[in-house]
Amino acid sequence: MRPAESNTVRERARQALSDEFLRNAVKFTTERLRAGKQTASEEHGNWEAWRERARQIRLHTIAHLDYYLQEFVENARANGVHVHFADTAEEAAALTLEIARLRGARTVVKSKSMVSEELHINQALEAEGVEAVETDLGEYIIQLANEPPSHIIIPAIHKNRHQIAELLSREAGEELPPDTTALAGFVRKKLREKFLEADIGMTGCNFAIAESGSIVLFENEGNARMVTTVPKTQITLMGMERIIPTWDDLEVMATLLPRSATGQKLTVYMSGISGPRRAEDRDGPEQMHLIIVDNGRSLQLGDPHFQELLNCIRCGACLNACPVYRHIGGHAYGSTYSGPIGAVLKPALNKNVAEWDDIANASSLCGACYEACPVKIPLHDMLVYLRQRKVELGERSQEESAGMKGFRYVMSSHKRYGRALRWGRIMQKLLLRDGVIKARIGPLKGWNQQRHLSPLPKKSFRDGWQALEREMQQERAEMDELVRERLEHYRQKQEKGGKGDE
Amino acid sequence: MSEESRNKQERFLQKIADRLGRPRLTEKPAHPYKGAPPDWQRFSLGQEERIALFSENWQKAGGHVVRLPDLEEAKRFIAEKVKELGAHAIIRQNQPELNALDWEQAMPEARIVVWHSDQQEDVLRYAAGADIGIAMAEYGVAYTGSLVCTSSGDRGRSVTLLPAVVMAILPAERISTRLGEVLAHFHGRPREQFPAGIHFISGPSRSADIENDLTIGVHGPGVVFALIVG
Repeated sequence: MRPAESNTVRERARQALSDEFLRNAVKFTTERLRAGKQTASEEHGNWEAWRERARQIRLHTIAHLDYYLQEFVENARANGVHVHFADTAEEAAALTLEIARLRGARTVVKSKSMVSEELHINQALEAEGVEAVETDLGEYIIQLANEPPSHIIIPAIHKNRHQIAELLSREAGEELPPDTTALAGFVRKKLREKFLEADIGMTGCNFAIAESGSIVLFENEGNARMVTTVPKTQITLMGMERIIPTWDDLEVMATLLPRSATGQKLTVYMSGISGPRRAEDRDGPEQMHLIIVDNGRSLQLGDPHFQELLNCIRCGACLNACPVYRHIGGHAYGSTYSGPIGAVLKPALNKNVAEWDDIANASSLCGACYEACPVKIPLHDMLVYLRQRKVELGERSQEESAGMKGFRYVMSSHKRYGRALRWGRIMQKLLLRDGVIKARIGPLKGWNQQRHLSPLPKKSFRDGWQALEREMQQERAEMDELVRERLEHYRQKQEKGGKGDE
Repeated sequence: MSEESRNKQERFLQKIADRLGRPRLTEKPAHPYKGAPPDWQRFSLGQEERIALFSENWQKAGGHVVRLPDLEEAKRFIAEKVKELGAHAIIRQNQPELNALDWEQAMPEARIVVWHSDQQEDVLRYAAGADIGIAMAEYGVAYTGSLVCTSSGDRGRSVTLLPAVVMAILPAERISTRLGEVLAHFHGRPREQFPAGIHFISGPSRSADIENDLTIGVHGPGVVFALIVG
């Protein structure tokens, strides 16, 4: 796979930035989705109340996950589902292969599932000689290109129609025109055959409803319905945190997920599957397997900083809102999940500390992801915690350590700070060109690569503070009694709160 | 595999409780935030408003809407479309309202297969090659522009999925305002009455995966009619 060629976010980002089509496509798509979400959330109204509601439902479910997961599993079993548990990606893959072997399967058709990407299930199946076919149009395209998805919702965001026509022509054995209708028409025909001949249909799971043991799938193309209607065997892969307690709770998720993902009121299809076909049914799977996957998720449980990560409903809104994602696209993140959620999930799901810094630093910490998140996950805080943990584990460069030491030395005495400022103001004269500092030396190298540094002002805030303070005291004396009281109250509250994390 | 799974389940759930720093929960926890915000649950439109909102949303998604006085008229409308499209193969659900209509006489040139458990024909294969699927929707949702079909021996999932065109009859009084009103029908429903498949359908199958260019009818039907009756 292509992204494996370069090892750091920086290198992959540089590659992405030099690909003009990719940059434009990502920008166009994310803006379209973001605008759609904006319109849909405004039109729905009272968005904040719904976000809060969704957050509460997810917090409640995760806090009682052992209970709800048990309830879900018992109900699913009673519906006739074979339930399996996998601690790791390897176990999940082994279970899938075992089911495929027992069913004598040669072909598997898959609807889009981020968990299966996470587990690399396709490669595992192919290695055993079982053909695995992605059936979501975007997923099918990137499967032919042998690339991972670069967006949770639009996986082939980085491919243009000419590249797609070339890929599909190779599959068709004839030249197909770079025309959307013709290309989609070919895929419909080709995959229709695959659906009808496949032995196993494989899906992910958007939500699992504890009270009835049902899984719920959201999609627009109808391929997830195909996969759960036509083949004789169904395997559903599900992250262990996908649970919601009741059908009533689905209204909240179904209101937020499509609106946050694409701006739709509801996806074209929302399907609730509760076990295999009934005795008298003529379609739907005869046998249904459910593999519940941990793969690092339980590490987040009980962690005060990261437990909320499990609230994620995989809508992709944070990708579309993120200024970094919008510039570099998904492949630069080098993991199954990209964007802000990927930057936190990847290090959280795998404990490899050395990789933390790389990916967690691909963020400007602006908080746009949190604003966009329909379940209010504080992703920007989590990125800071990741950086903090890495430092605590001693994983940082000598330059950074030296810089931090120096910073502490200067900042811990106002005299040293004053001297440093005066020194800086004199030294910068050597570097000033056209009123800015352009030199790319020492610690300025990274910063000045893309922009210029402003010089220190002639008069600092500290220099003007005495005059400013006098002015403020004057104002306070003229202040209304009520306003003063409120200000005082606020100040006290802030002081109390200030003793927290720092 | 199943006994192994039982043992694994215990370890799996115990691990979750351990990480949460408490013993396993055996009592159902109180769930104070269940469902949509309370204000929303009071939101309700009159029948004509519901029909108007459903129609608006269904059309915005790319579907067609026709309002008809009764089922007989719905049949006549479908027969016209069959002729217009030159449809030969038709599959329909085995629902009492549909069975009461004389379909063969209305469209003599087409072959109509009824989906039911005792049908000799391989109904799934037939549906895959069918031009039109005909179904009665059990519920409608105005706010999201959705109709809802559930599966049984008489109601194939394939009928609303595999044909190129779907004609769904939706009695006006079955349209509710909010999604939650329909979901409430499944909340607490006994297992023996629970359908294996519950499908919310909100327009034609679509994709924007090729350069954001909207394509209709990718895997599911590209032409979907909601015939609102009453």
